Amino acid sequence: MKNCFHTFLSVFAILSMLLSACGQIQSVIPGGTVTISIVYGSEKQQWLDPLVKQFNDANNKTPGGKVIVVQATAMGSIESVRGIMDGSLQPTVWSPASSIYIPVANAEWKKTHPDDLVTGTPKDLVLSPVVIAMWRPMAQALGWPGKALGWADIAQLATSADGWKAYNHPEWGQFKFGHTHPAYSNSGIVSIIAEAYAGLKKQRGLTVADLQAPELMKFMSDVESSVIHYGTSTGFFAERMFGNGPSYLSAAVMYENLIVAQETKRIDGQSTQIPVVAIYPKEGTFWSNHPYVVLNAPWVTADQKEAAGVFQNFLLDKPQQLKALELGFRPSDPSIPLSSPLDSQHGADPSQPQTILEIPSASVIDGIQNLWKQAKKPVDLIVVMDISGSMGGDKITTARSSLMSFVQKLDDRDRLEIDLFSSDISILTPLTEVGAKRQQVLDSVSGIFEGGDTRLYDATLQAYENLQKNGNPKHIRAVVVLTDGQDTASTNTLDAINTQINAASGEGGNAIKIFTIAFGDGADKDVLKKIAEPTGGKEYDSSPANIQKIYDDIATFF
Amino acid sequence: MAALLFPTVRAVAYAPLRELILPPPAAVTITLLYSTEKEAWLKEVIPQFESSGATVDGHPLKIQLEAMGSWEINEAVLSGTRKPVMVSPASALQIAALQDASTAQFGKGLVNPADIASCRSVLKTPLVLVAWKERADVLWGQQPSASLWRNIHDALVNPQGWATYNHPDWGYIKFGHTDPLKSNSGFMTILLMTYGYHDKTSNLTTSDILKDNDFQKWFLETEMSIGQFENSTGPLMQKMISYGPSTFDFVAVYEATAIEQSDNAVGRYGELRVYYPPALLWSDHPFCVLNADWVTPQETQAARLFIDYLTSQPAQNLALQKYGFRPVEPTIKLEQPGSPFDRYAANGFKADISSLPEVEIPAGNVLNTLRDFWARNVTR
Repeated sequence: MKNCFHTFLSVFAILSMLLSACGQIQSVIPGGTVTISIVYGSEKQQWLDPLVKQFNDANNKTPGGKVIVVQATAMGSIESVRGIMDGSLQPTVWSPASSIYIPVANAEWKKTHPDDLVTGTPKDLVLSPVVIAMWRPMAQALGWPGKALGWADIAQLATSADGWKAYNHPEWGQFKFGHTHPAYSNSGIVSIIAEAYAGLKKQRGLTVADLQAPELMKFMSDVESSVIHYGTSTGFFAERMFGNGPSYLSAAVMYENLIVAQETKRIDGQSTQIPVVAIYPKEGTFWSNHPYVVLNAPWVTADQKEAAGVFQNFLLDKPQQLKALELGFRPSDPSIPLSSPLDSQHGADPSQPQTILEIPSASVIDGIQNLWKQAKKPVDLIVVMDISGSMGGDKITTARSSLMSFVQKLDDRDRLEIDLFSSDISILTPLTEVGAKRQQVLDSVSGIFEGGDTRLYDATLQAYENLQKNGNPKHIRAVVVLTDGQDTASTNTLDAINTQINAASGEGGNAIKIFTIAFGDGADKDVLKKIAEPTGGKEYDSSPANIQKIYDDIATFF
Repeated sequence: MAALLFPTVRAVAYAPLRELILPPPAAVTITLLYSTEKEAWLKEVIPQFESSGATVDGHPLKIQLEAMGSWEINEAVLSGTRKPVMVSPASALQIAALQDASTAQFGKGLVNPADIASCRSVLKTPLVLVAWKERADVLWGQQPSASLWRNIHDALVNPQGWATYNHPDWGYIKFGHTDPLKSNSGFMTILLMTYGYHDKTSNLTTSDILKDNDFQKWFLETEMSIGQFENSTGPLMQKMISYGPSTFDFVAVYEATAIEQSDNAVGRYGELRVYYPPALLWSDHPFCVLNADWVTPQETQAARLFIDYLTSQPAQNLALQKYGFRPVEPTIKLEQPGSPFDRYAANGFKADISSLPEVEIPAGNVLNTLRDFWARNVTR
């Protein structure tokens, strides 16, 4: 009897192990799983990333019994549209920061497809109004909270020659404003649409004909003149503002949740910045509503649609919605009250906004984007490129082609200088407007070849001084330095560069920015960080494989 | 054949034995296309009906549900893609339209509203306006006037928006209703608007829609001021609450939908209130057995039993207490303690609205003309 019992236990144990293994195997056998990819606006990364992991770990299944695997990628909302249109992205689900660009995406898609890319009315995952983030003392100087502020107040400040002096705060210097790049980010598009409405004193009914008004061009140029630089995503812009403080940026367009998140950090002692508040523009604003769009695209299978529905339901379940509230979003589930941290202590006012601006048609949005290209602040840019002997082979080839692509992205009014350094420093093209010389510059870049030593410090300092002397302070001014090695032949030192940078610190966000690209393992990344970061620029680790992407990222600043 | 045979054998078999020796009788299945507003109630009531012991010729009864938009039900039946025993759109409007269209197409009506045993209303809820009280107070006060729809048009097209009423911070005036081609409440809204423009409650004709340029201009101005049409009523009401007064000042939804969301609105963006339009239109949820060759007499009989069950007191009471519908069973009092009309009276819900006139349901061709007019001119 005892033996029988042992035999039974052994068989039971073996069967259990087999069944358990089957379960695990099922989740990795291709036929037993369905993978869905999600491209989403990076503003909700902090919420979504852990939830994707939690969902995948739970081995959730479709009604048909397949294990669902979610792969999520954060990306600028407008950038992702371009990827879907050109075929480089083929996600199952697209969740941009707002619905505002859906008509544009549908119009573009229908040029080559019979149906809309986005059909029906997708569900919102979470909500957050678009607001102007401003340091509390600055908002108070403008009359907040007693006085309602809006886009027109920003325009007035932007065009005031006296800057903050006009508001009895000369010590704050110029008004420094920021919004993301409209070709990459939802909040950038929203900012320029709001500018157009404010410039025309309208809140709805914007037409293509309205955009021809000369006063609108002037208004947009005025507002854009106070922009310190653009950027690829709203989350990145928030990091810049909250990391660098009020001397760098006075105000920026972002989402309420980012302000609440920053204030939560500040209250918890994780940030030493002064308080920041959300200004809900009195003329109206837009909602960032994070629609969950299962694409009506040929690459989305029936299985994936089913799996995408399961993941959507998971995200809309109460525990996940409560998590969003903790992070400063307004849950889309109406049964969850708008409670802390959505309160004045965290810079927010849940009774706002009072009104919205009407979402314009696709053709009007397109027209506003074109108008912005003419109104935006031009860039004065010096590219400093290492052509020392170690740049041979793949490196020089990809550096050349990516620089050419970068030059193509610049606007005609932008001014460009290219310096080459090895044992010597030479100017390939001086600081003049790109429009008249674009082809000539492209031809010259295609003929660059390598040889000699690395005079990194001398070349960087020369470019910086040149830009200080010849650059227009009303333009965005930037130096891009690409090097694959350590300095071997300069007469100047890193200290000399930092001394110059420190001397310009009073300019805050308007100071010259240096972007450094460590091209391969031979570059000294620490040194390049020490050059870039104090200017508000950025150090990039790069290789021939990703240099194009780095240049694309830098282009979003302009 | 077996299904027909077994009940006979069952009838003569010795009772204690027959359950053991014979297979259970096949169920008579009632296929039902229904609109989703009543889904939660139906899914609660159907298991109760199926286990209630109701039979036809000894066969148990089973309900097979398929959810659809109210107008989609008509399209599915007319095109032959679905052959249900029974349909239940959100309102008698679709039944009138289906009767008209099927008579034109097949020479006989697939539904017969005159036969109350096989086609009758089961739940009622009127179309109402839900507004932020602070804004409704400014726009129409305690109760909208008889010229509500004309006033709404004038407010919507006023370029000054709320600035006209000394509230420039509220922006332009924003109204929401659902897509009339997809959702019954959207269609009910445009029908009430049309009656409102013509200042009547009956005798609406196709000429009122097609031959009146002033009406067409007025109607399209109103509709073009609406940014987006939601596909169904529940999500529209949810948006009203989630987005607050920034996005909608007022929306047209069912009274039951407003009741369902009442608790969610508390402590969010101020007081939300319900307002009854000057003339009512009911979403009356008819359940109609189809007069079609694919429906057997047994199925017809089973469907009639189902309608009887739905209109019985327990099912009707549940619809009121839990889901905010008005029962058709006359002995159930709306304002009984604890009912939604008792709990939410302060939000403007009124049990007795008998003083308000009702608009007449126009002929099917008038309804189809209005739908076509909207589809041609408003769809974006």
